[in-house]
Amino acid sequence: MSKNAFPRSVHALSPLLALLMASGAAPGAAQAADPIRIGVVTPLSGTYAPIGQQVRWGLELATKEVNAAGGVMGRQIELLFEDEEANPAVATQKAEKLFQVNKVDFLTGTVNSGSTLAVGQLAERNGRLIATTVSFSDAITTDKCSPNVFRVNARAGQQSAALAEWLAKDKPKAKVYYLGPDYEMGRSTVAAFKSAAEKTGAQSTGEVFAPLGSKDYSQYFGQLRAARPSVLYTSTAGNDTVRLLTQMSEYGLLRNLTIVGASGTVTAQNIGAIGKAADGFVTGVGYSAELATPENQAFVAAFRKEYNTAPDLYGADSYGLIGFFKAAVEKAGGTDTDTLRKAMEGLSWTTPQGSKTMRAGDHQAIQDMYAVRIASDGTSNRFDVVGTVPGDAAIGPDLCTRF
Amino acid sequence: MPEATTLRTLSDPGHAGPASRLSRLAPVHWLALIFLVAALGFAAVAWATGNGFYLRLATEALIFAGLAMSVDLLLGYTGLLSLGQALYFGLGAYVSALVLRDVAPSFWLAMAAALLAGGMAGLIGGVIANRVKGVYFALITFGLAQVAAKTVYNTRALGASDGLIGIPQIRVGFGPVSLDTADPLSFFLLVLGLTVTAYAGLSYLMDAPFGRTLAAIRANEKRVPFLGFNAWRYKLAVYVLAACVAALAGALYPMLRGFVSPELMFFETSGNAVITVIVGGVGTLVGPVMGSLLLTALRSVVGSWTEHHLIVVGVIFMLSVIFLRKGLVGALLARLSRRGEAGRTAP
Repeated sequence: MSKNAFPRSVHALSPLLALLMASGAAPGAAQAADPIRIGVVTPLSGTYAPIGQQVRWGLELATKEVNAAGGVMGRQIELLFEDEEANPAVATQKAEKLFQVNKVDFLTGTVNSGSTLAVGQLAERNGRLIATTVSFSDAITTDKCSPNVFRVNARAGQQSAALAEWLAKDKPKAKVYYLGPDYEMGRSTVAAFKSAAEKTGAQSTGEVFAPLGSKDYSQYFGQLRAARPSVLYTSTAGNDTVRLLTQMSEYGLLRNLTIVGASGTVTAQNIGAIGKAADGFVTGVGYSAELATPENQAFVAAFRKEYNTAPDLYGADSYGLIGFFKAAVEKAGGTDTDTLRKAMEGLSWTTPQGSKTMRAGDHQAIQDMYAVRIASDGTSNRFDVVGTVPGDAAIGPDLCTRF
Repeated sequence: MPEATTLRTLSDPGHAGPASRLSRLAPVHWLALIFLVAALGFAAVAWATGNGFYLRLATEALIFAGLAMSVDLLLGYTGLLSLGQALYFGLGAYVSALVLRDVAPSFWLAMAAALLAGGMAGLIGGVIANRVKGVYFALITFGLAQVAAKTVYNTRALGASDGLIGIPQIRVGFGPVSLDTADPLSFFLLVLGLTVTAYAGLSYLMDAPFGRTLAAIRANEKRVPFLGFNAWRYKLAVYVLAACVAALAGALYPMLRGFVSPELMFFETSGNAVITVIVGGVGTLVGPVMGSLLLTALRSVVGSWTEHHLIVVGVIFMLSVIFLRKGLVGALLARLSRRGEAGRTAP
């Protein structure tokens, strides 16, 4: 047993802590020269940390540029980061701290949809606004929409609409087979794309769902071949995609078959392991670092210079958010919640991804969507833009009824 | 992950014999009383300075303290390591959320429904888990919780991975008076009152013959039948009791945060509860409460300071296992009793 590692003062631990905690708050009346504070609740540790890293880089780069150019109405932007561990229970606690203790004017960064929904509700109860730059669950701007939540990135429906649109143009009347991971999100992603593809004339030849983390996909290859599809749609992610595509390649199934999929199926994280088997994979997405616009090329060059890597979708959407916020604050003349909300509704702004417009009816950004094809020779990869779907064609109806 | 066998040896020495009972147990209750006064002092300071956030953070710590107490009942008093206590916590949270959102915004109805659900699920889980002992018990409880968490995660009617939002803030009625869960101070005091009640009730029960029998099971389960007791029944009873405590604690969560998500049932939640108990003091009931407050405060402060906060919590856990083998409360008690002895010997 130890020689009592705690000092005598430990008796006073609880009240001391209480005092410490209570004195931690910094009440500050906002003056014109005060910085505008933006809270960022994003996963900085755990599985989603690579996404949180892109969010952080995108926001920091944009903030640096805005501040260097004189800030927003003469006020500098200050970012306050908190780790949400991709857990809504942690995210709400951290967001509440940012709202009530740090008195942030705006909040962003949540990655998984559960965190965005929970923090959105918290924002409503605290009378502040938030925006997500990553979550793509349709619910956030449809049946669970909130007057205090904005989404500047493309939702799942826009991604599948864009992909279906490209498919109808490039491979009219395609015979499509679907292979998804067997859990709620995997199934709903397949269902969403299936209905979009069938609307644009594609023919469904069958579907199969494999358990998450499957080691062997060859058991599904018989059904796949028997259905004789010209296109395979998949919504697997991470290492599941690695195994699926490499095994298909080993079985020679990639010949005469176009593989399309959800935007998270092949990413910068797993493309190295997939290697040459990723060649020709097409997805519908809101951004590619290969976009040839001057805005994007300047953004990619600045991003590479600062962080020595290319931005991905999350980095680009997060970068664009600061422009959105700046434009809205300048239009509103301040950060008051109600006037800021009014200013954000219907606002159009420029991003590396092209011009975006925030739809007033459901707080979902409308943007041009891209069909992106991967060109891979096994060592280096490019995400080539092979088609553009205009924002209006991909956005879909406004299904939000709350405001 | 420490093994169940090593954890058993960490439990408190407070049950050595009836003669030493009063002198050994009283300091624990003193500690609880000091804690209560400190908590009320904290509430007063936080209220006076208008710090709703810290009151709500402390409320959350007390809610997770309820979960930790339920782990302590099993680990500290009976010697059963549960790695799946979040199952009952999450169940209580979901039942409470559904009742408040879809049936009626009634505090008492939500608590009753959570208690009922926790008791039933605890009975089923207890019958399954108590078929085996030691590390296998730990694995079964872990597995049960994983199955439940994955089921919720994939059930669209329960919000699947997104969880459920829109749980209303409610008024809690006590006859003529009522308080509002949206008011940080009132809700903190309510949860503090419930925690103290749970502590008092469970301490009493652990001092009663029921608790003595559990201590006997922890010491040597094979000899318990020779004393005329059915060890299996007692283990099932304490398992159901722990499930009920966890479910009631869970039922408070959506009232505080307004949502539930499957993460509440994940292993992270169960694992944190075990860490809380070990840091606070196994087999003391007040230890888990203090551990929960300490760790919640640390996570909040350190988490804002660095993203490597999990390392800090991990190091604290290891240090307390190595140096404070009876946890925070054990160290405090040793200090109190030494001072008491010193007072007696000195003129």
